[in-house]
Amino acid sequence: MTAVSDILHLLVTANLWQATLAAAVLLLLPALGGVISERSGVVNIAMEGMMLTGAFFGVVTDLAWHNPWLATGVAIIAGGIMAGVHAVVSIRFRADQIVSGIAINIFAAGITVFLVNRIYGIQDIGHATQNELLPNFNVPGLDQLPFLGQVLFQQNVVVYAALILLVGVHIVLFRTRLGLRIRAVGEHPQAADSAGINVYLIRYGAVVTSGLLSGLAGAFLAIGVSNTFVPNMTDGRGYIALAAMIFGKWTPFGAFIACLIFGLGEAIYANNSIIHASPYLLSMLPYILTLVVLAGLVGRSSPPAADGIPYVPGSE
Amino acid sequence: MPLGSVVFAFIAGGLIVAATGGNPFSAYAGLICGGFGIGCTQGENPALQISNTIVFLTPLITTGVAVALPFRAGLFNIGAEGQLLAGSIACTAIGIKFSTLPTPILLPMVLVGGMVAGALWAGVAGVLKATVGAHEVVTTIMMNYVAQWLLRYLIIGGPLQLAAGTSKSLPIGPGARLATLLPADNSLIVFDLPASVYRVHTGLFIAIVAAAVFAFLLWRTTLGYEIRAVGQSQRAARYAGVSVRRTIIVTMLIAGAFSGLAGAVQIAGVDHNLTDKYFSDTTGFDAIAVALLGLGSAVGIVLASLLFGALHAGGSVMQSDAGISSNLVLVLQALILFSIAANFLGAIRQLIPGLRRPPSAPRPETPSAALMTEAAAAAPDVTPPK
Amino acid sequence: MRMGQTRLRLFGLVAVALMLAAACGGSSPSTPTKTYKIGLVTDIGGLNDKSFNHLAYVGLQKAITDFKVQGVVKESKTGDDYVPNLTNFASTNYDLVIGVGFLMQEAVGTVSGQFPNVHFAIIDGAGTDAKGNDLKHANVESLYFREQDAGAMVGIISGMLEKQGKLKNNKGVISAVGGVSIPPVNHYIAGYKWAATMEDPGIKVLVGYSNDFTDPAKCKAIAVGQINGGSDVVFQVAGGCGLGALQAAGQAGVKSIGVDADQKDADPSVIASALKKVDVATYTAIKDVVNGHFPGGALTFDIQNGGAGYAVDNFSLPADIQAEVTKVQGEIAAGTLTPPADIPA
Repeated sequence: MTAVSDILHLLVTANLWQATLAAAVLLLLPALGGVISERSGVVNIAMEGMMLTGAFFGVVTDLAWHNPWLATGVAIIAGGIMAGVHAVVSIRFRADQIVSGIAINIFAAGITVFLVNRIYGIQDIGHATQNELLPNFNVPGLDQLPFLGQVLFQQNVVVYAALILLVGVHIVLFRTRLGLRIRAVGEHPQAADSAGINVYLIRYGAVVTSGLLSGLAGAFLAIGVSNTFVPNMTDGRGYIALAAMIFGKWTPFGAFIACLIFGLGEAIYANNSIIHASPYLLSMLPYILTLVVLAGLVGRSSPPAADGIPYVPGSE
Repeated sequence: MPLGSVVFAFIAGGLIVAATGGNPFSAYAGLICGGFGIGCTQGENPALQISNTIVFLTPLITTGVAVALPFRAGLFNIGAEGQLLAGSIACTAIGIKFSTLPTPILLPMVLVGGMVAGALWAGVAGVLKATVGAHEVVTTIMMNYVAQWLLRYLIIGGPLQLAAGTSKSLPIGPGARLATLLPADNSLIVFDLPASVYRVHTGLFIAIVAAAVFAFLLWRTTLGYEIRAVGQSQRAARYAGVSVRRTIIVTMLIAGAFSGLAGAVQIAGVDHNLTDKYFSDTTGFDAIAVALLGLGSAVGIVLASLLFGALHAGGSVMQSDAGISSNLVLVLQALILFSIAANFLGAIRQLIPGLRRPPSAPRPETPSAALMTEAAAAAPDVTPPK
Repeated sequence: MRMGQTRLRLFGLVAVALMLAAACGGSSPSTPTKTYKIGLVTDIGGLNDKSFNHLAYVGLQKAITDFKVQGVVKESKTGDDYVPNLTNFASTNYDLVIGVGFLMQEAVGTVSGQFPNVHFAIIDGAGTDAKGNDLKHANVESLYFREQDAGAMVGIISGMLEKQGKLKNNKGVISAVGGVSIPPVNHYIAGYKWAATMEDPGIKVLVGYSNDFTDPAKCKAIAVGQINGGSDVVFQVAGGCGLGALQAAGQAGVKSIGVDADQKDADPSVIASALKKVDVATYTAIKDVVNGHFPGGALTFDIQNGGAGYAVDNFSLPADIQAEVTKVQGEIAAGTLTPPADIPA
């Protein structure tokens, strides 16, 4: 009984929700990337690898030039390059997008550790100092609001960026011609092509964007939340982001809600040593919840119609 | 073509090694020594290297089959790893619970138990695909994670934990174990080393039988015909009177049984207990590359398993002999996957005038890509129940 | 009988610790003509784990400069690699094969039985059978650490700082972030809590586990929770994951404590590190082989023989705390105080 009341007590603390939002953003960025890529018709299960690559190059750059903004830029570009490989392989070479995604993830896991070994030998890769990190930023005035101030306005700069991106992606996808085109390409590329839309260009753009977002998430993880690179530090977040994207039915805000649920679970666990259930059983929950959603118990969730199908001009 | 993909990957990998200041030739010499016992410079024992490769390739064959069979039905089973873990968990639980039973009873029990557990694990994905059309890639990824966390729970604080503070289970009973080819005897010397260092076990034959069963099932049975029909076109299969829904579920169940068998054999033949080493197991993911590289044929899968088993075994010799991080093996695996998936070589051939195919020839597609395309295109046909 | 043997070994260890210091400036301590081959097998953490795999390598490097030895490393990518990696070294006439980490206990047990003429050493464990029983092969040295000794040293510092009320939150709370609830982790936390409570009986010691050794974000979240709960000192016992805990302390303006290696560079908030000298242990095993005196059996590295200890980082310890730390260190070394292996209630 005390455990239940402890959790209830925890749920009304601003600390918990502040942590929830930060944890959710680490998932939100790759999930948004997934939404954009899959809305254009390219399956992307490679957010994990793109994020890990971003984290690695972000740290390497930050340690070399001591500038978190430059490092974040490099991380974003590194994620984008990995996504570019995925795009070329799946769009130009019409490869199986899932195989390509798996290959990206394996490649990222291998090449980052391989490069750590080649660049740093067995020396510690090093740690960024406080002012080499992406800073926290308290929004003047608003951060003094009771409860909401701490939850929403005392966060890392990347959190604000992610929330702006969330709204931006939603608006672009559902309120602009570009979004209409992306969705058309994902639902019915042949028709889109006949209507004069450049299917390839839209898909390249969408996939690369997913890599840029995942790279940003990697930078946030490595030089925002943390201050160094640890092999495999993304720890499956790309896959949880994939789950969140499906959970959210391929919409930005749906994915965000899923990320918040997963983030809340993480935050409750982190803030509470009273829960007696096995932490391992608790860790299963995001995946089981996703299966439940997929099973249609919480309404149907289906991908864009042309998701995963390479586009061949003139085919039907 | 697959051979070309491997060559492409090794050339690209060699460039990466050279670009980072290593010597690709000594790296590959190390890989070949470690994988096949050929050309060793540091006195490595060839018989031991080959034995290690065989131990690594054994589960790859069975899980490779577990990925290849659903491919034929247009399904992508990324869940071989989770199914393998389910199989090894079931094998261990049964092998501990009935540890006093004799081999003729207990050994079939643990192997069948592993197959059932693997089948259930994959069956979830099959049923969700057949009933509500949930994409099996996503459901099997989720089931992989569920299996991973279940395993941790069971051996850290859960009912299978050996003792507080450990992360392993009790060993299975002697009756649940597969024999090794050579006696596990430290005093018997074979090829200059104690016989017990050669860990090749009879599970190798089970794996080869599994590959044969796969080929027979696919090409000599009605079910095999149905699987291939569904993979080629769900619509056409339905016109031909095949129940697409049933075929999808049955295919996943069989695939899961193969993976589960691989997990059970790994426990019964090599490890004899569940330990934390299964947290880092990657067999089920390597199996995807094996199935693709083997072009979905039984012989191809065995050969591809040989390559990946040798890469796994060779990595550590490469590191000690050439000083190249064994993580290069991961990079090579990824490059092989890219190369098969994208058919780079076909594209390169197109660029070279002398080799260009006649323009009317259809662009060669990889088997998986073609199958996936079909499967995805036919997906809307799987309507949810009313 | 075993106790006596262990006791005897401890005297040897003191000598080794002294030699380690002396060897830095001196010439090669022995002049064997043979080049000894030493193989080091890492666990899946790999060489860049910022923890014991890395430290083992440091010990090997030191031995390479001091003795006529050739050192080769094999990193294990998955748990399936332990047995082949150990066997590969043993079968190619290595003189000593070192397995790093308790994950390798069964593998070392198996392979050491197959190669009775090869020496083995294992960090944090023994060569065991499948049930975890020490097989006690004569060719295996089990290198254990009394992490609780190191934990106690940093526990004294934390407890006294908190009691003196000079830290930010000043609510009588300190904390520890563990990776997984396993013996080597809990030993550290046990010593830490025991010592802090000894200095300040009213102190509250929060303990959380991340169930992870590689994801800094997870440990950071736990540390932030503890700091919100009033913690003034965060002790990380979670390898790469725990680096996030150190950083959380830095950002919140409280203090933190590193683990295993000296982690003063990881974050400015690190005031001390609890040291587990895996490098000393590795060096000791190599030295035993080079000197032709390899007794096998269990060696315990603790505060008395310099195999466990503490470092003060980014901080100048007040004289009274330094005095207390020195006093307790002496008492633990003398055996009049014994930090517990299990976390006190």
